[in-house]
Amino acid sequence: MELLKKNKRFEFAIFENLSLTTGRTLFGIFLGLLASGLLIALSGVNPFVAYGALFRGAFGSMQAVSNVLVRASPLLLGGIGVAIGIKAGVWNTGIEGYMYLGAIGAAVIGVLDLGLHPGLHILLCIVCAIVLSGCWGAIPGFLKAYKGVNEVTATIMLNYIAIYLTNWVVSNFPLVAEVGAFYPMSKQFQATARLPILIPGSSLHPGPFIGIILCLILHFVLNFTPFGYRTKMLGSNPFAARYAGVDSRKQILMIITIGAVIGGISGAIEVMGLKRRVFMEFVTGVGYESVAVALLAGGNPLGVILSALFFAALKAGGATMSIETGVASSMNSIIIGMCMLFVIGFGVIDNRKLKKIVSTDKDPENDIAAEKEGEK
Amino acid sequence: MSLEIIIDWLQAALRWAAPLIIVSIGEVYSERSGVINMGIEGIMLFGALTGIAAGFYLNSLWLAVIITAIIGLILGFAVAYLTVSRRTNQVVTGLMINMVSLGATDMIFSMMSETRKARVATFPAIFPSSMTNIPVLGKLLFAQPISTWVALILPFFAAYVLYKTRWGLNVRAVGDNPKAAATAGLSVIKIKYQTVVLSSIFAALGGCALSLAEVGYFSAGGMTAGRGFIVMAACVVAGWDPVRTALICIAFGAADAAQLRIQTLSSTIPYQFLQMLPYIVTIIALTIMVKRSRVPKTWGAPYDPKDV
Amino acid sequence: MDENNFALQMQDITVEFPGVLANDHVNIDCKKGEVLGLLGENGAGKTTLMNVLYGLYPPTEGRILLDGKEVHIGSPLEAIQQGIGMVHQHFKLVDTLSVIENVILGIPTKKQRLDLEPAKKRLLQLCEEYELFVDPDEIVWRLPVGKQQWVEILKALYRDCKVLVLDEPTAVLTPAESDQLCRAIRRITADGRSVIFISHKLREVIQITDRITVIRDGKYIGTLATKDATQIKLAQMMVGRPVTIERKSRPVIEDLKPVLVMKNVNAKDDRGIQALKNLNLTVHAGEIVGVAGVDGNGQRELAECIAGLRKPTSGTITINDKRVTGVIADPTFVGFIPEDRQKTGLVMDFSIADNLIMKDYQNAPYAQNNVLQYTAIKKHARDMIRKYHVKTPSEDVRVRNLSGGNQQKVVIAREIDPEPVLDIASHPTRGLDLGAVANVHDTLLKERNRGAAVLFISAELQEVMALSDRIIVLFGGEIMGELNGEDADQEVIGQLMLGHHPEN
Repeated sequence: MELLKKNKRFEFAIFENLSLTTGRTLFGIFLGLLASGLLIALSGVNPFVAYGALFRGAFGSMQAVSNVLVRASPLLLGGIGVAIGIKAGVWNTGIEGYMYLGAIGAAVIGVLDLGLHPGLHILLCIVCAIVLSGCWGAIPGFLKAYKGVNEVTATIMLNYIAIYLTNWVVSNFPLVAEVGAFYPMSKQFQATARLPILIPGSSLHPGPFIGIILCLILHFVLNFTPFGYRTKMLGSNPFAARYAGVDSRKQILMIITIGAVIGGISGAIEVMGLKRRVFMEFVTGVGYESVAVALLAGGNPLGVILSALFFAALKAGGATMSIETGVASSMNSIIIGMCMLFVIGFGVIDNRKLKKIVSTDKDPENDIAAEKEGEK
Repeated sequence: MSLEIIIDWLQAALRWAAPLIIVSIGEVYSERSGVINMGIEGIMLFGALTGIAAGFYLNSLWLAVIITAIIGLILGFAVAYLTVSRRTNQVVTGLMINMVSLGATDMIFSMMSETRKARVATFPAIFPSSMTNIPVLGKLLFAQPISTWVALILPFFAAYVLYKTRWGLNVRAVGDNPKAAATAGLSVIKIKYQTVVLSSIFAALGGCALSLAEVGYFSAGGMTAGRGFIVMAACVVAGWDPVRTALICIAFGAADAAQLRIQTLSSTIPYQFLQMLPYIVTIIALTIMVKRSRVPKTWGAPYDPKDV
Repeated sequence: MDENNFALQMQDITVEFPGVLANDHVNIDCKKGEVLGLLGENGAGKTTLMNVLYGLYPPTEGRILLDGKEVHIGSPLEAIQQGIGMVHQHFKLVDTLSVIENVILGIPTKKQRLDLEPAKKRLLQLCEEYELFVDPDEIVWRLPVGKQQWVEILKALYRDCKVLVLDEPTAVLTPAESDQLCRAIRRITADGRSVIFISHKLREVIQITDRITVIRDGKYIGTLATKDATQIKLAQMMVGRPVTIERKSRPVIEDLKPVLVMKNVNAKDDRGIQALKNLNLTVHAGEIVGVAGVDGNGQRELAECIAGLRKPTSGTITINDKRVTGVIADPTFVGFIPEDRQKTGLVMDFSIADNLIMKDYQNAPYAQNNVLQYTAIKKHARDMIRKYHVKTPSEDVRVRNLSGGNQQKVVIAREIDPEPVLDIASHPTRGLDLGAVANVHDTLLKERNRGAAVLFISAELQEVMALSDRIIVLFGGEIMGELNGEDADQEVIGQLMLGHHPEN
């Protein structure tokens, strides 16, 4: 009863729908780390030494912490982009593609010397990134909402198309491509189009803070606006949403497009703040990682902040671990994936036990049927 | 365009389609029983790597195939345990399996540095080379490696199993109405395990066909390039029918083969745009066909045996 | 009495769900060749008891004897092998498969090849024998519901069941089909098989059965021979007090203004089959129009068309002269209590407070300047909880955790409280206990007296007759007849429900 009385808006329930407790999540992460440790041991490295290096790489110095924050930037933005999709009941797995489009958008404006004030130049870059990625995201959004095409397949196909598009832009597109480069890349961004570095000597750009602010804004939007109410209603019961007069198609199109725009901003920030150029295949893997971030957060925007920082620490530390101990750099995605598999594996508990708390009258059939509906 | 180019293109289309078809057979069963095994992309990667590694170290193609199947079996049990027993979200489970597979295959591959440059023996053609001289068919069919032949025959066998056997009936029933199947005395969980494990084995073998028959090497960074997702799209487009799914796979293979050929023929279109072709074809095919496909009723929904 | 006479005995069966005792030491026994009625209200535990018998739930306590021998039934397969056949209230048929495929599904066999011919032969024999005719090659979803029932029964007979359980079999049948079912049951018991007939309808239980066991609140109340039973006696056992639904007295309202006007409305159902045919209907302010009919004769489509959830293929619907073109999300205009509250009417994972603003979330005072005002929302929720007696510790409880009756109260509060000009109540009492049913009836009557137009759809003839000012009978998507609620005759309505025009 106490549990129920708690205001749901503030409970730290990662994965609200499945009644997953924080304890289970942590246990899942622990098992994921344990399993990954076994793999590290199999590859001939002492896992304690490796994890030690990982920990130092994440928290050992100011430099390390700033690294974590820099790596958190795309995860925060990608994570929140996927998370609002989860709330509306769609899996927006196209973050990678949106990031490419955002980066292209930023580059088209950012490599040109327009003689603009830095603030204005940056703004223009971001606007162009938003427009391009928004249009890109509207494709799977439209296909899902109006044609019934599965959004996972559509977005992943579009990711590959975006990769080839980027490859073309950075190797052949005359305005942007660097001619005669050893590896396909764009020209360098103009100084006026670069995001400022916050701590001199580090690579900390404003990206992670923009990400955190966006998470907070979307937390507010989801929980305290009619738009958010509509979104959540659609996600938990599309039939009821229709009954309440929600235009679910429009809403799905909007949600996927918003996710795309956030992904586009993320891509733009990545190239304007960190890379200074657009490279071929510069965001490989962030798409899956964003899904993991959003999932660990249960689609909860505040949770995204925590889970993005957690995965960023794993990634930043993982890089150090890889350098110091020789563990393959791809260990990062293994650790993240393993943690998530264990978390979701432990996540589903027998809902039945929780369901009956207030149920006083004798209607077990009904309630079981309801449960089933809920699981869908 | 000359006839020779066309034959060459069709021949390549079949070769490119073969791994897709092999993967699709398993996926059709799994999705027919209600489980979307989205992990096939990653399992294909594992299959591709295992095939190359086993072929390299053991020097036997057949051992490589067997070991690949065993790897598929193990991964299949993992996917089945999560999606069927733990009732995890099938999309998420698949994506995370893919993520782990991508990382793990890269890692294992980097540890086996000696295989990096090696090209191992690939699947042989089964027909004597004299038969390849037969006009048209010779090049188109008889020069094909054994994996292509398997891929061409398998769909018919799979269709027979699905529509004309007890087990096939059970699979169809479980996907459309698991509660009815359970009350009729079937073990829904067992059947779902069987189809998911089967789909994983086929995915691994398809990956193996990709590396051993087609390219002859493994490359890091996701050499399957979304083929698992293309197969899933093919299932939807073809309405989960083994033979029709295979036809769709051949169409995708044709798009793949076409882009390679146009690349060498013409330089006016940037090759990157040609590389997009199979993915664009997939999206368009999905958009046209998705509404007409009859979805297995509990497609993607978890099944709780305690719900009655 | 000789022990061996019993085909089935269930002794002291207790089933405990967390927090609920679904079965509390229930005893039933059924002799060979006998029809045993199992009678109880919705939610009394009948279905739970039968699920125990069918190996779907393990009982917490108690034992099951077949032919006098104790058996353990751990799964449906074991139940089938022990000779138990069950026709569930919600059919367990794979409707994309053919009849014969459904019949042989799950029967253990060594032969992997699917050879349907011998099975078809046997099925046709069974069809003849019990006069339940179906085409073995027909795909199940193409069959009318009544025929699907036959398939379920034939499926059990094909497996040579000794005890056949029919769970509310007549709920979906027309009276003619019910008669056919009765005859089939007689033939089945003539073979020495036993039938357990579950129902909450007194009349048919008395018609069909030899003995009757009554359970209430999960408890065993008693067993009596049907020849000693009367409807009144059974009803008392069932609910623990005498009940009849009496026609509610009501003030006469003069000057009826038409509110809902439907003209030549045609509509299709989800399968694309014509569900409403040239329907003309007017509902006035201050009257309750009851819609009677066997389930699945267009009631659902009728309600959905009016609520704007389904587009008619032709014809016009107006409410207060406003044309209905889409979902009406204005709670002061139309209140709609949907047929399936959990699927359509509620968001199970939302709190009570959130559910209560489902149609009003964009409007003041719940939203101002695009920000939800939770103080106002929660205050509204507390008011509604008090006014409609929702049993809950607080307004933040998720609706999922409420009982069926309390969930319905939430829906009613949301739909009725804004005082809409038109109320559509679609099976509002389904699955509720008697207290809750009376509550709903009172609410609807109050709405009428307030001056709202009320369209009341129900499959329970009794409550339609008790509540309505006018009654229309739907059959096959057409209005078969219209009667005055005051002097409607049950027999006439029954005929109309079958699609017969009673001779004048």
